[in-house]
Amino acid sequence: MHLRSSPPPRADALAKATGAERYVLDFAPAECLSAGAYRPGAALNIAHGRVLGVDASAALAVPGVLRVLTAADVPGTNLQGIVHKDQPVLCGEVIRHAGDPVALVLAESAESLRRGLAALRADIEPLPGVFDPEAALKKDAPLVHPQHKGGNLLLGARIEKGDARAALKNAPVVVRGEFSTPMQEHAFLETQCGFARLLPDGVLDMTVSTQAPFRDRFEIGHALALNPFKIRIRAPYLGGGFGGKDGATVQCLLALAALNAAGRPVRMSWEREESILAGYKRHAVHLRYTLGAERDGTLLALSCRLTYDTGAYAHLGCEVMELGMEHAAGPYRVPHTHIEGRCVYTNNPIAGAFRGFGVAQVSPAFEGLMDALAAKLCLDPLELRRKNALLPGDENCSGVTLTSSVHLAECLDELAAHPLWTTRQAWRAAAPRFTRRGVGLAAVFNGMGYGRGLADMAIAKLELTEAGEFLVYNSVADMGQGNAAAFALLAAQELNQSLAENPGAVRLLQPDTERCHPSGSSSAGRTTYTFGNALLKACAAMREKLLARAAMALFVDETQALELAPGAVLHPASGRSLPLTALARFLKRDDRVCVGEFLMPVAQDPPDTGRAFQIGFPHLFFSYGAHLARIEVDELTGRVRVCDFLAATDGGRVLDRSCFDQQAQGGAAQGIGYALLEEFKTRGGLIQTADLSTCLIPTALDLPDIQSLAVDGHEPTGPRGLKGVGEVGLNGPAPALASALEDATGERLRDFPLTPERVLAALNKRRPPSRRRA
Amino acid sequence: MKLSFTLNGVLVRADADPDERAVDLLRDLGALDVKEGCGTGECGACSVLVDGVHKLSCLLLAAQLAGRELTTAAGLGTVAAPHPIQRAFAEHGAVQCGFCTPGMTIAAAALLARNPEPSRLDARRAISGNLCRCTGYVKIVDAVCAAASELSEAPGGETPGAEDQA
Amino acid sequence: MNVVFPRNMAALFKALDEPGARVLAGGTDLLVRLRSHPDSGPATLVGLDRLPALRGVAEDSGWEPGLGTKDGRGDGSPSESVGPGTLHRALRLGAATTHAELLAHPLIRARLPVLAQALADLGSPPIRNMGTLGGNICTASPAGDTLPPLLALGAEVELAAKTGTRRLPLASFLLGPGRTALKPGEVLAAVCVPVPGVDVRQHFEKVGRRDALAVAVVSLAALVRTGHGGKIVEAHLAWGSVGPTVWRCPEVEAALAGRKLSLTALTEAASIVRSQVQPIDDVRASADYRREVAGNLLLRLAMLE
Repeated sequence: MHLRSSPPPRADALAKATGAERYVLDFAPAECLSAGAYRPGAALNIAHGRVLGVDASAALAVPGVLRVLTAADVPGTNLQGIVHKDQPVLCGEVIRHAGDPVALVLAESAESLRRGLAALRADIEPLPGVFDPEAALKKDAPLVHPQHKGGNLLLGARIEKGDARAALKNAPVVVRGEFSTPMQEHAFLETQCGFARLLPDGVLDMTVSTQAPFRDRFEIGHALALNPFKIRIRAPYLGGGFGGKDGATVQCLLALAALNAAGRPVRMSWEREESILAGYKRHAVHLRYTLGAERDGTLLALSCRLTYDTGAYAHLGCEVMELGMEHAAGPYRVPHTHIEGRCVYTNNPIAGAFRGFGVAQVSPAFEGLMDALAAKLCLDPLELRRKNALLPGDENCSGVTLTSSVHLAECLDELAAHPLWTTRQAWRAAAPRFTRRGVGLAAVFNGMGYGRGLADMAIAKLELTEAGEFLVYNSVADMGQGNAAAFALLAAQELNQSLAENPGAVRLLQPDTERCHPSGSSSAGRTTYTFGNALLKACAAMREKLLARAAMALFVDETQALELAPGAVLHPASGRSLPLTALARFLKRDDRVCVGEFLMPVAQDPPDTGRAFQIGFPHLFFSYGAHLARIEVDELTGRVRVCDFLAATDGGRVLDRSCFDQQAQGGAAQGIGYALLEEFKTRGGLIQTADLSTCLIPTALDLPDIQSLAVDGHEPTGPRGLKGVGEVGLNGPAPALASALEDATGERLRDFPLTPERVLAALNKRRPPSRRRA
Repeated sequence: MKLSFTLNGVLVRADADPDERAVDLLRDLGALDVKEGCGTGECGACSVLVDGVHKLSCLLLAAQLAGRELTTAAGLGTVAAPHPIQRAFAEHGAVQCGFCTPGMTIAAAALLARNPEPSRLDARRAISGNLCRCTGYVKIVDAVCAAASELSEAPGGETPGAEDQA
Repeated sequence: MNVVFPRNMAALFKALDEPGARVLAGGTDLLVRLRSHPDSGPATLVGLDRLPALRGVAEDSGWEPGLGTKDGRGDGSPSESVGPGTLHRALRLGAATTHAELLAHPLIRARLPVLAQALADLGSPPIRNMGTLGGNICTASPAGDTLPPLLALGAEVELAAKTGTRRLPLASFLLGPGRTALKPGEVLAAVCVPVPGVDVRQHFEKVGRRDALAVAVVSLAALVRTGHGGKIVEAHLAWGSVGPTVWRCPEVEAALAGRKLSLTALTEAASIVRSQVQPIDDVRASADYRREVAGNLLLRLAMLE
């Protein structure tokens, strides 16, 4: 007999494992029309160009092609963008990157759509472009958005604390370094997609693979002059998101198509190549760092300048940079900081949100200098981090006093005691022929939530259905991180229901703007924290209500005498009980509903710095992690094999260990890819890695058995003491692997990814090829 | 062109265009568990068993299915009666977004049919044509090995893919 | 577009006679290309799925070293099956045999490990289950994983047409990227591979950007016959992905002959490689990296010492 492992699996797992779960396109009606965007830049080798005209005649002659829409057909502002509205739905005058769309084709079938798109012609006059931020900031540089008053500088900002200049001047030890981190493709397995239909009552009914269904309504409404409350968005389980489905992907184009489809349903599904061409990327960043310390390793001051390439449009560029700046000094006590950031428009692909949101880019820099400092002072790199690690009550590098839970030191202690660390010398020494071994580590952190300036709010609705089951109206899309299942688990615990005995005791409704309450986006490590808290309140209210209502039916005069039990309300004193099925029939529908809300606390008395940020600065809650990597470097090819990887994570209290490990392992896997493999290449704004045979992500043979350790902390404001752990895991691998590589080769690489070419060049720097040893 | 084949044990007849891909035909026939992630054989989401052999339905023409026995993830088992591989995926945390999962379970079924006691490296090799962006593969490998143990303990357990040669 | 699946050689040749006909083998390259260029597609795809005559591994009784062409075996059917115990001069690999079938074959594993290693590194399990040896050859990519081992082994291709069969050395068959000596109406029926003696060390290494689903950045197939005192009698070397077709370097082979298989000799040979090879930059690697690694991969042969 098969013995079930003790904790019940994720509520969504079995349906997904058997292929029964339905994703967006699986819901699309068979009679859907097909819509697709015409993005001529890539084929014409033009990343910046003036649109002189679109010739639709041949396309319209293709059988099955119904409409070809251009910017002239877009009602409303024709501008999308989460904070800054600068991205046209269809470009009428200028394309600013190779993936900009100039027309939208509506066709009877996918095949006629393909033929229609192939028959379209655009006349585009190339314009001089800017492809790196330094060039874009030069005085006479071509402007990406001539109307933007800062030129190509989308935002310049500063975070300061103390007097970093003076402190660095007087610091006994100073280390410096310049770093660069690359663009990264999300490469979710399900590309951007959705379907929509304009209903006879004027409601635009959309089903979209999106991280932010509630906000999408406003973005579409603004761009297309529609009443956002006449747009309904449903967000079934996503086939991955990682930030890349936060903001408009198909939404506005699909809505425009549906408005022109005479009430017929329309679908849009980006092919993989279109996803790579037009989807958002992680920002490439250039970082210039100076770090000063006492001779005993106590950090004194940090000065740095970060330059974020936001590509053709703002998307969340300012906010991504804000988070990077707020984390620029690492999870350490640094009394004096001077952190400058520049977020720059270029004609490169659009950069936006990606797990590790700005922070993954700065981690290799601050950790790189921590290693440099340790080397200079002959200190143990782990000890140096331990010595400077933020503790509860400390002030972080932007001047926020940490009143939230902080367990970085414990994460480092876990590494220090781990055999992978304690046996490292012997392991290094046993390197096989043509192989070098190295061990490296990194300490990282990541803010949780939106930060100050906007409400990080969730509203949870809970219903006792007529059938006597609980239904959670999940308002925050589940892109795979398991928040929906976590909500089911939280509700089951709070309502004393057993999912193991009755998986249907708590059911989930996935986000639907018509039926659920607005609760923000699935992002920023906030999902389970904010909505979870709201849901716990709704559950508490539901319990009180059910006990009170049951008291009437059971002739009990005090609710304290009653208990909520699996499937029933119990009166233990008498042994009598009222099944929830009966209780449900007893109650009117509006009496079977409870709503709870939660607003994430923000930093009180925020420091008087970072004034350039409209929203998002500063954060109050952080998750922490310490990562360890053991690698082998092949001397003949420069290839790096990750032999062991260990992630110790402080995510507050662990609600579900399996889900916690999933986040730690998955984040580290993407981080390892980012560090070693994922070289997203452009030339003159044109993407060189245009499909999945060149735009690579790790396969099962490219990753080790990533180990996850949980440091059991407790965040008092969190639901059951938890914090978000979705982001922090991505931030450690790049610095830990660079550190291991330095340990193996003696060279610090500061440009990522750490490709075999760069590694081989580093090996040769140390050892000329003519004197290659065996 | 008209063709017939067996889809998850049921004989189906279909009319396909000569250049129609197998993945499109299968989805049209309601096999929505077959996903498409790239269309170029680089991701494995569209994995199916053809006469027990792990293949990619985005790189097969519908016409090539004629007379064959097709197994998709839904043909391995259902929510009510899951295959041990599917149950192991659910219980060992191998499922996150789940979009790669049907294809992964097909790769696992093909492996276990020819190698009932795979090492972790064997399992990694077997799923190396199936990309997952969520999990880092650790728990998928856990699940494949756990399913192998369970299947080898229970001689009644059957896995399609008996003729897989890889 | 039309698609047909002939069930015997006669039907195959008839289908190939149609204008615009093109062979569909495993489809792992062709269907990807047709997807990106749908309107350049052939009028008729001729699938090899249902043609057992083109599959399987057999002893190649017709092998005569140095013989360029050979008639006979009009139906292309494999001869009697063979086991690993027999000593064969040559093996005949049916062109429509999949990579997985070849990889699983005991004779390939035992006698042609250089090919087996290349097959094991090719694509991914489902790609190996679909893709065929003939397809890999006819795609004629400089990165085709089976090409360096087959060239190092001195393989010949058997080309069948309605009018008869001819044999060509593989090196003469491969003309350039995507170009072969295949004539209209012809099909690659088999690959005939001489089996190296037991005194020949076989080695294959592929450098890709990852460990599965990888296109070779550089690869090296090496056959090294050593004699008394570990001296190299003969070395056959072939590199993938460093030129328009698989690259051979007679100077290096000559330089190694008579030397002891040692790091010193290999290091000298590697510098000849680096001075002779003329790779290009592409999205996967720079020419400089390829040049250096093409040389470095020779050093790995020191592990065979």
